[in-house]
Amino acid sequence: MATSMELRCWGGDWGLPSIHTESLVVLAYAKFSGAKLTVAPIDWTWRTLTGTVPELVCQGSTVTEPAQILNYLRKLRFNADYELSARQGADTMAYIALLEEKLRPALLHTFWVDTENYSSLTRPWFASRSPFPLNFLVPGHHANTALSRILLTKSDSPLHTITEVEGKIYSEAKECLNLLSHRLGTAYYFFGNTPCSLDAFVFGFLAPLHKASLPSSPLQNHLRQLENLQRFCDHILNAHFSSHPGSPQPVQETVDANLQKLTQLVNKESNLIEKMDDNLRSSPQHKPFRADPRPSPSNSTGSTPA
Amino acid sequence: MTLMLSVPLTLSNFSCYSPVCIDSSHFIMSLAAEAFVSQIAEDQILLSDCASSLAVQAYLRMCNLPVQVSYRPNAEYMSPSGKVPFVHVGNQVVSELGPIVQFTKAKGHSLSDGLDDVQRAEMKAYMELVNNMLLTAELYIQWCDDNTAAEISRPRYSSPYSWPLNHILAYQKQWEVRRKMTAVGWAGKNLEQVYEDVSQCCQALSQRLGTQPYFFNKQPTELDALVFGHLFTILTTRLTSDELSEKVKSYSNLLAFCRRIEQSYFEDSQAGSSSRGYSKGPSLF
Repeated sequence: MATSMELRCWGGDWGLPSIHTESLVVLAYAKFSGAKLTVAPIDWTWRTLTGTVPELVCQGSTVTEPAQILNYLRKLRFNADYELSARQGADTMAYIALLEEKLRPALLHTFWVDTENYSSLTRPWFASRSPFPLNFLVPGHHANTALSRILLTKSDSPLHTITEVEGKIYSEAKECLNLLSHRLGTAYYFFGNTPCSLDAFVFGFLAPLHKASLPSSPLQNHLRQLENLQRFCDHILNAHFSSHPGSPQPVQETVDANLQKLTQLVNKESNLIEKMDDNLRSSPQHKPFRADPRPSPSNSTGSTPA
Repeated sequence: MTLMLSVPLTLSNFSCYSPVCIDSSHFIMSLAAEAFVSQIAEDQILLSDCASSLAVQAYLRMCNLPVQVSYRPNAEYMSPSGKVPFVHVGNQVVSELGPIVQFTKAKGHSLSDGLDDVQRAEMKAYMELVNNMLLTAELYIQWCDDNTAAEISRPRYSSPYSWPLNHILAYQKQWEVRRKMTAVGWAGKNLEQVYEDVSQCCQALSQRLGTQPYFFNKQPTELDALVFGHLFTILTTRLTSDELSEKVKSYSNLLAFCRRIEQSYFEDSQAGSSSRGYSKGPSLF
């Protein structure tokens, strides 16, 4: 197809081509189906406020929303679902609905409503990618949209506050992650050996959660326990986005993952030792003993992957 | 927990009898659904609420639990979550199909025990599909489509109240639903797109069902109850246009599925009139 298609989306970071879920879905599907898209990030443009993201511009017509864009690509014969049976196609729709209903509220909460994550990660990122004076408006606007969506769809009455809903949405999200993990099993993709639109959607939802360095996230911790979902994301990144600068090589990836696990273990051990030490020092039987300054706990926080 | 007998209801629209589910060898899991409340019959109930309450009725019948339906105009306010239907058992009130399924499971009645993990994942996914697509489409058609809202939804919803309360409540409900549609991104859709979405959802359900009697072969599960509730209501409700029911009718295995469940679970109830109380129109026969 000689027609050029341009995709407007948010830019990438943390090893991902884009940190926005819907944009990632479209990018992944384009890679799977072989469509050539020129990616035009809307960072630092005025479109950060006015544009709906992601947006596909092709031959003068614009299409928004991942489902519509995927349909449009399919009409242009970029079809990654060609080999799916009818039943698998039905399963795809069902699992996408599951992701939307159960996982999206918790993701919105993690990134936009949780104060620690919002102030230390999300807001600076989006503010730094928006031109002045939009950097004051854009993150707040997104945060409000996220909050209202969560409250309207998940809370029992419009008067409830977010704290009452938090427990419910996180437990549903964890259940959803478990269900996805069960369904994926040990395979690399959800249906057979080739990726399809369901893989694109799951990747779009999970990859930001997997890669972002969130200060406080029970959901991310839960994802860390589900090995096959992490492997799924990493595999897609390496296989389809490996030419993108910033994504680590596969070998180094596993080495870094092991190193990270080791580091976590060592940190835990040293935290325990510190606590024991403090207990001993503060116990009344022992005189406070001014010793040499303690060697600082293991500082091999090392090269954590981006 | 000891059993309780039901108390005859004061406002019910049909003859009530006391359903007793006593099994002397199972004192622990005694569950007599005393009252099952939805909105007032025939006059006030709307398509989406009727679908949800029919789904719960079907589920409880599939579990062989006697249930009695009663209609109250203030059911929405009685419900703990603001949504109908809800089940009132003893001194506990549980609303909506998901929590009701968990509640009955805690009491020892469950339809989905025989499923393995992957099948359970599929079942939950399909239930979310129905909720996401069919329920949202029903709400959209009722409240965001101006014709239907003005001719059917607002008059019905406000029928038990006098002026000016009927206007206030109807517009308030419409405003709430439109806000929710905006939040999930359906506000920008037009009616054609909504019908298309319903059609795709039915196609997915039809393909999943195939030629099997139920979605997970031999035994019905809560997914069957939910799908039956929505499809049957769509098929038997008269709206301003027939396009919605035409979309469902084009899938013959879904029609056969609804008929099968209606025959198995709703034909053999003792109070014959009460089993027809939910449908506003003719049955499928």
